[in-house]
Amino acid sequence: MSANEPLDPLTITRRHFLSGAGLGLGALALGVCEAASGAPAAPQFSGKAKRIIYLFQSGGPAQQDLFDYKPLLNEKNGEQLPDHVRGGQRLTGMSVNQASIPLAGSAFKFARHGKCGAWLSELLPHTGSVVDELCIIRSLFTEAINHDPAITFFQTGSQIAGRPSMGSWVSYGLGSMNENLPAFVVLVTKGKGDQPLYARLWGNGFLDSRYQGVKFAAGKDPVFYLTNPEGVSAAGRRALLDKLEELNRVQLERELDPEIESRMAQYEMAYRMQTSVPEVTDFANEPQHVLDLYGPDVRTPGTFAANCLLARRLAERGVRFIQLYHQGWDQHGDLPRQIRGQARETDQPSAALLKDLKRRGLLHDTLIIWGGEFGRTSYSQGKLTKDNYGRDHHPRCFTVWLAGAGVKGGLTYGRTDDYGYNIADEHGEAISPDKATFTPGAVHVHDLQATILHLLGIDHERLTFKFQGRRFRLTDVHGHVVKELLA
Amino acid sequence: MRRWHSSRSARPGTAVLAAASVLWLATHAAAAPPAPAKVDYNFQVRPLLADRCFVCHGPDEKKRKAKLRLDDPAVARRVLAPGKPDESELVRRITTADPAERMPPRKSNLTLNNEEIDLLRRWVAEGAEYKPHWAFLPPPDVVPLPSVADGKWPAGPLDRFVLARLERDGLKPSAAASKEDWIRRATFDLTGLPPTPAEVDAFVADDAPAAFARVADRLLASPRFGERLAMDWLDAARYADSFGYQADGDSHVWPWRDWVIAALNDNLPFDRFVTWQVAGDLLPGATRPQRLATAFCRLHRMTNEGGSIPEEWRNEYVSDRVQTLGTAFLGLTLECTRCHDHKYDPFTMKDYYGLGAFFNSIDEWGTYDNSAFRPTPALPLASPEQERALAAGAREVEALAAKLREVEKSRDGAFRAWLGRPDLKPDVPGLMGYYPLDKLEADNRLANLAGAKSPGSTSPANTLAPGKVGQSLRFTGDDGANFPAPAALDRGQPFAASFWLQTPEVMKQGMVFHHQAGTDTGFHGVELSFDQGRLFFALVRFWPGNAAAVRTRATLPAKEWVHVAVSYDASGRASGLRVYLDGKPAEVEVLRDRLTKNVEAGGGTLTFGERMRSTGLKGCLLDEVRIHDRALSEIEVAQLHDGRSLTDALARKDEAALRPYYLAAVDAESARAREELRQARQRLFAAQTGVFEIMTMEELPHPRQAYVLARGNYDAPHDRPVGRDIPASLSPFPKEAPRDRLGLARWLTDPRNPLTARVAVNRYWQLFFGRGIVATTENFGTQGALPTHPELLDYLARDFIVSGWDVKALCRQIVLSSTYRQRSVAAPELRERDPDNLLLARGPSRRLSAEELRDAALAAGGLLSQKIGGPPAKPYQPPGMWHAMNAFLPDYVADKGEGLHRRSLYTFWRRTSPPPNMLAFDAPSREVCVVRRQTTSTPLQPLVLLNDPQFVEAARALGERLLREGGATPEEKLTYAFRLGATRKPSERELRLLVQLYRDQVQLFRADPTGAQKFLKTGDRPPPPGLDPAELAAAATTAGAILNLDASVTTR
Repeated sequence: MSANEPLDPLTITRRHFLSGAGLGLGALALGVCEAASGAPAAPQFSGKAKRIIYLFQSGGPAQQDLFDYKPLLNEKNGEQLPDHVRGGQRLTGMSVNQASIPLAGSAFKFARHGKCGAWLSELLPHTGSVVDELCIIRSLFTEAINHDPAITFFQTGSQIAGRPSMGSWVSYGLGSMNENLPAFVVLVTKGKGDQPLYARLWGNGFLDSRYQGVKFAAGKDPVFYLTNPEGVSAAGRRALLDKLEELNRVQLERELDPEIESRMAQYEMAYRMQTSVPEVTDFANEPQHVLDLYGPDVRTPGTFAANCLLARRLAERGVRFIQLYHQGWDQHGDLPRQIRGQARETDQPSAALLKDLKRRGLLHDTLIIWGGEFGRTSYSQGKLTKDNYGRDHHPRCFTVWLAGAGVKGGLTYGRTDDYGYNIADEHGEAISPDKATFTPGAVHVHDLQATILHLLGIDHERLTFKFQGRRFRLTDVHGHVVKELLA
Repeated sequence: MRRWHSSRSARPGTAVLAAASVLWLATHAAAAPPAPAKVDYNFQVRPLLADRCFVCHGPDEKKRKAKLRLDDPAVARRVLAPGKPDESELVRRITTADPAERMPPRKSNLTLNNEEIDLLRRWVAEGAEYKPHWAFLPPPDVVPLPSVADGKWPAGPLDRFVLARLERDGLKPSAAASKEDWIRRATFDLTGLPPTPAEVDAFVADDAPAAFARVADRLLASPRFGERLAMDWLDAARYADSFGYQADGDSHVWPWRDWVIAALNDNLPFDRFVTWQVAGDLLPGATRPQRLATAFCRLHRMTNEGGSIPEEWRNEYVSDRVQTLGTAFLGLTLECTRCHDHKYDPFTMKDYYGLGAFFNSIDEWGTYDNSAFRPTPALPLASPEQERALAAGAREVEALAAKLREVEKSRDGAFRAWLGRPDLKPDVPGLMGYYPLDKLEADNRLANLAGAKSPGSTSPANTLAPGKVGQSLRFTGDDGANFPAPAALDRGQPFAASFWLQTPEVMKQGMVFHHQAGTDTGFHGVELSFDQGRLFFALVRFWPGNAAAVRTRATLPAKEWVHVAVSYDASGRASGLRVYLDGKPAEVEVLRDRLTKNVEAGGGTLTFGERMRSTGLKGCLLDEVRIHDRALSEIEVAQLHDGRSLTDALARKDEAALRPYYLAAVDAESARAREELRQARQRLFAAQTGVFEIMTMEELPHPRQAYVLARGNYDAPHDRPVGRDIPASLSPFPKEAPRDRLGLARWLTDPRNPLTARVAVNRYWQLFFGRGIVATTENFGTQGALPTHPELLDYLARDFIVSGWDVKALCRQIVLSSTYRQRSVAAPELRERDPDNLLLARGPSRRLSAEELRDAALAAGGLLSQKIGGPPAKPYQPPGMWHAMNAFLPDYVADKGEGLHRRSLYTFWRRTSPPPNMLAFDAPSREVCVVRRQTTSTPLQPLVLLNDPQFVEAARALGERLLREGGATPEEKLTYAFRLGATRKPSERELRLLVQLYRDQVQLFRADPTGAQKFLKTGDRPPPPGLDPAELAAAATTAGAILNLDASVTTR
């Protein structure tokens, strides 16, 4: 037995299809891993979601200006954050030395939307039009207070480098659903700048390199080295590959090493990718009304809108985990102006993706996640003026939404105190949950990860990999499936 | 268990491999000889208990259930009933049908299968004997050689161990590999490069038995040897050219990489290789290379992300050092003990922080701002010319300082003459700015009575308030006031600033003024600030290790006006930093006196009352600011404070008070000599500033107290101090050794240390055989794989120590062994029986590493640069790829010329965005210590080898080479190219296929001449004149095919 899945494009080994290929691949990979360690194969349940599109909003969107309506902040605009609200929590080195930490009310109007009546700010009109599909979690919390550790924690379950990313875990656990594209694809909005991204966010850590996310870029070569060198015709390349296969077969007969055959299969897969990747990235056959749905940016390759449409196309073709990154939410200053631009870039395409998937009958088995690595402070970093403010990093509460497969639409889960500074209980009283014990209403990053895996039919405690003598998992030794979010 | 289609064994592999290797050994390896007479604790029982039971019944006290620990025989006895399995509670609990009682419990997700239960039962029946974990006992002083039936096969002791094991299993070694295969294998393993056809021919023609040794010795003497072995060590040392977090600035540590290559080429004994890297700075009379080697301890990642808390990160770095020490030298997973006692191995949190205490006492800071300002401690690496210039500069400064003293001594007559004059005025010359702060002018300007053209300014948020004299400026704490400085204040520029200050409370922190550049993760320049109510005055290049800084002993009183004056004499020393309170010299303590370079803050402004993201002077009043462009004498400062000290002294003709004043402020000759000295100093300072520095280790005068930190958090309560110590479960700390890193290195390299030598020889074994004798190179603990050949490992370890830790001798012994010399082909039965070649009944075979693939292609094309060392090279990479993900970084711009063709270990390694063509072939990211790479097979790999301009250009060069040098016929030409890629000659069938490919491609390119022209432009190398483009393009394509062959990408 092996964790080599026959449909994993990164490992396809044609002669060695497993007899049990009809099994869910997840069960297969998990079964192998458990069987090898002596436990019976894990009976995994069937998940609602077959694939994930993760719209990661890098930098930390300000929940107070988008999702978490806090009229008290406007009332108390300019007043100092009370000590009892801060509760001794640490601040980053960026605002800890400020002489004044004035509360900053949102510059944006909030209104209720949809049947569910969820509050959203005027920055998100399109999101408002799909709000009944969304499960808005206002009570996420994390531990890290700076970008690099926080985003690494969110995407790999650990602030320490060298751990597999969420997409790697999922492709390791569930394998691929197609023969022509990678199982885990990463798309980054082009030219945004702001907080950096790192290869480790889609790295495989100690898992096999085949589970690494493959980054697609806008432009001529969507995948590094995909295109033949200039002047090499398709016929010329095919002729080369055919001879190469014959030559390697001679070597196989000579050396009897099945590894050679595996390598030969990779050449064929690479060849197929040379066709399938340009096909998926070419929007020529998308009808006008679909393009319109995503908004005007969709025509510019590499925009968030174009990447959302590309994500749908990848999802249709069986890509298991599609990770988008949109940078630019790190608004320490000049927030009102900057966030407007960010919302303009993301609001319509995010909503369009939902609508588009729904129309195509894909939303019921696709999980969409929208959110960043932490939230922002209710007080202003830097000067608070009549029409300007900034917000510093805030790990103690922030908003993320889920939609699609298995998720309860129209739900707003969890709440924060009136200052938007702490997670609150059902009476609005600030609480301070921790990751070790699950507190209903509060969702730690590991809880979210556990819930995401659950939606895929994976028990987060059983998707493990033994490395350095220890069974590692995405959720470390924590995480709790938040049942209330499930449909 | 058919695992043979998953990748080869030299990688952590999938779950099935990692977990199965232990299992395989447990059920096959030890059991493989006729069923063992007795169950072995170390090889069969312990792995099982550790995997299924120790989580709750193991070393971790906090997680222990029912106070039962099965790792400790004394405690375990109560559930074992040795010899009486039916009375054993352990046996009962693993066999009971009652789910409430059954172990392991259901919720643990762990179970035991029937074979495993039976094994435990047998073990109890046989007396439940415990043995210490093999790896924690020193290798025996003498390892007896096993007897073997086939006395002819072994070429040396090593082979006897392998053969004995094969004979026990009823297996025979494979025949010897062809000479071509062996020289290819040995040349790649020892140099990372393919042998040249001439080297192969010479070797094949050499029938002498010593031919093998001659080749081995040639390869071991090649400078490429050091480069090859360095490649592995760079992974272990997490070497990279950038810091790795967030903005990921350049780390400038390549001289350490060059030291590694040189040390390996010089065959520096491994014990010294370890000692220098851990503690070279502490060796008596440490040399530059010994100090440079300690950069090893500084290669961890570092952050400069805004808002980071330095102490948090400093602890991260100390942890990284412990983790790397554990993995690279000891094969231990010490990082587990950062947050809790080890769950499987006998290591505690106290052990972890005790080891950390060896590495926590350098003058470092948790963040850096800009890597041009090297994080301290740093070692200057002056070139010989720079050394000469520095020495000359220092002599000149010394001479001019002496001259100034002479001049001053000689000016007594002039002083008296001056003193006798009737018209003496209480001048304090050099006044550049005088800001009374009585009025806010237009545009928030603050009038300068010493120069109307250079006014100060304030943020409008600061307001006027009643002052010491007239009005004063009141600060908000977040807003500053700016006053022009005499110049860009730096080491060679004297200045003084004085003012009245009133604070509303004793200021714990607060920026009085600064002339600095930087961000909140580090500032450089001049600063005067509050530190727990006292004044801190400093010139900083990199805090704390490269700075001159003093702090007053007195606390500044609150709610009253205090006159503050600071003065700096351009000496570059802490003694030149003076602080005066109310006109009197303030007693100060010297915090740092080690400014070795200019502070380079640029600018020309003193900013009062705030600094970016620092605490400002909230509610403080500032009045009567004066700025001078020279250092002031005491009486001048007194005059500024009270307006009459100097006046009175002049009236009194007070010689004692006035002599220093005369020399400092009046006498032109002294001023000339002082200026000469200043200029000489500036030249010296500039020369010092131009010297390249590298981060290294250097102890603080007093060790920093270390603590056990709950859950590894930097801000956990510091109530559990720990001293420097090593884990008690390993060999003892050498008695006479000092309790510092040098002592630690002595312990590591002590012949009694059970791990260092074993771990090292195992890593080298892995280099040649693709997997270690212990497959888990990174983990020799109880959860690691067991050795396939325990006696061999011990023999090699002991032999390594006895040889004087001679790495080249070890490598030589391996490549000349019969074991290594076997052919790698395995008949299906053998492959079925031993898919991973654990028993070594055949020779090693492996895919080339990322570096080797690229280097081999460059070598085949004749492009490979021979240059050793130097700053990193930037070969072809997809354009713009750095900046696309990280706006803090520039676009990637490839080198021109030689930089495109250097060996791959010189490629610039950007941790957050490593070269994609290397990642595709399993190169690790170099973020953490890695001692074992994976070997995977993915479709991204063919895309690299077929389409990456680097490989296409190499194929073009090889195509050109085969046309020019290969001979007359296509057969000759392609044979030549095949040998350059695959070392051996092609078979007839292979050659026929290649010729067909070549001819087909000629036709295709003849039909598409534009295509041929375009293809021949791939890469920077211009297409050569005088060759037919279609033929050249076809030759390049065929050469590319050759470089993609299994025969070229593997050693067999």
